[in-house]
Amino acid sequence: MIVRALGRLGRYAWSGWAGLTGLCCIAAAWQAGHEAYGSFILPAPLDTARALAALAASPEFLRTATETTGRALAGFTLAAVGGSLIGVLAGYSHAAIRAVKPILTVVLGVPPIAWIVLALIWFGSGGGTAIATVLIAALPIAFAGAAEGVATRDRALDAMARAFGAGPLRRFRSVVLPHLVSHLFPAWTTTLGTSFKVAVMAELLSNAGGIGGALAVARANLDVADAMAWVVLVVGLLLAFEYGVLHPVREELERWRAAGVPWGVKR
Amino acid sequence: MRLALERVGHAFLGRTVLDDVSLALDAHETVAIVGPSGCGKTTLLAIAAGLFDPLSGGVRRAYARHAAVFQEPRLLPWRTARENIGYGLEVRGVRRRARHAIAERLAEAVALAPEDLDKFPVELSGGMRQRVAFARALAIDPEVVFFDEPFTALDVGLRRALQDLVIGSARERGYAALFVTHDLLEAVRVAHRVIVMAHRGGRLAGMRTVADAPGWRDERTIWQTAEAWRTGDPLFAHVFGVEERA
Ligand SMILES: Nc1ncnc2c1ncn2[C@@H]1O[C@H](COP(=O)(O)OP(=O)(O)O)[C@@H](O)[C@H]1O
Ligand SMILES: [Mg+2]
Repeated sequence: MIVRALGRLGRYAWSGWAGLTGLCCIAAAWQAGHEAYGSFILPAPLDTARALAALAASPEFLRTATETTGRALAGFTLAAVGGSLIGVLAGYSHAAIRAVKPILTVVLGVPPIAWIVLALIWFGSGGGTAIATVLIAALPIAFAGAAEGVATRDRALDAMARAFGAGPLRRFRSVVLPHLVSHLFPAWTTTLGTSFKVAVMAELLSNAGGIGGALAVARANLDVADAMAWVVLVVGLLLAFEYGVLHPVREELERWRAAGVPWGVKR
Repeated sequence: MRLALERVGHAFLGRTVLDDVSLALDAHETVAIVGPSGCGKTTLLAIAAGLFDPLSGGVRRAYARHAAVFQEPRLLPWRTARENIGYGLEVRGVRRRARHAIAERLAEAVALAPEDLDKFPVELSGGMRQRVAFARALAIDPEVVFFDEPFTALDVGLRRALQDLVIGSARERGYAALFVTHDLLEAVRVAHRVIVMAHRGGRLAGMRTVADAPGWRDERTIWQTAEAWRTGDPLFAHVFGVEERA
């Protein structure tokens, strides 16, 4: 059992090489851009890496990075848990979905920047503003994914479960939840991405430290290499959480899907 | 008497699907229900299985456990064959180890290879999936089993094999069965009695009893009975005549 799970983990890690190839393509395009426009507009990837290493050596670095990560993850957790829970409940009622849809459109239509301004007024400048903005910007995405997942559950399977005497809770666990996973994870991935982006944006505008604060400083100093280094760091953190946590969990939960894929296609 | 439908009536969106349907199912008895598609057979079965309540009339049940086999296998795609067979047992609170033991025994009974038990439904053929669905129904040791055109999607040879499984297991385990089909040959092979539904209006048109018990009839008699009913019996003429014109 454990050996097999490790085998799957190994295969997942192996599939990372393909992802790395993609990242290298981006780096190559970046290098080409650097050679076309010069260091001031676009510092070379290697220079950026060096700037990042220099930043990492400073004692401030860890605090800055964990501050942003903490805010993004706090917002993400609240949004993912809260949004998914309400979404599941709403998914069982067509009326609820219809009632909530326009609200979602409105909330999602307000640009995050506007939420930041409002949150600044409501919560003052500080970590709370970043977390609140992340929550507001990311929650509707998780909600929509969960509601959609429940609404598209397989009713024939549900009837089968009822014919075998399964109660509502068991039907949710055995029939709806596994199907829900395939809707939740893409939504959570988007939610996570939004969380990091909005957290940095909120920090930058509210002067609340973190990577956003560091970016503001780099901009004031016209230090393009530093700014690039911070951007790379944010993207790196996002990639780490998405491919280090979300995707492995999903793969483990959706083994049955992989079972149907023919051999040559597997990875 | 295991199950009785009493003057059951039902309508969808004001359109009558069942009207004043009464039927009784004795213990150890298999009753086939035939009728053209769309006449309300699935609705009748769903009401009998308690999936929803009829608008009028009632259902009396004198048993503790029933199971169902549907036209599609309706297996949980995220579970292996073994865990699918054990689903009804899990609902009843049977422990994992006992579930797996029962699943293994039943896999043998429905002619599933042991190595297929660890496969997911996507990895199984259509016939194997339907065997798993059948094993899942047998696993809870039901007193009544509802079949809704369970073998329609399978080819003739496979269908025969599974019909024999139904006949054999019904005799061994003594469950009563309500078997919906629109294959008259299948009805004559598996059932003690055949109930015919009218093609419109949601009423029962009539009933015929098949001589001898299922499993004791030879193929020739089965074929001749079905043919005689199809061509010479006015009760069936209206059903299958409609089918052919449609
Ligand atoms: N949930 C439903 N809502 C509305 N109409 C339905 C529903 N289920 C079945 N019907 C209609 O009821 C009639 C009987 O359906 P059904 O019982 O499935 O027939 P059969 O199984 O004999 O083919 C059909 O005309 C079908 O369109
Ligand atoms: Mg039907």
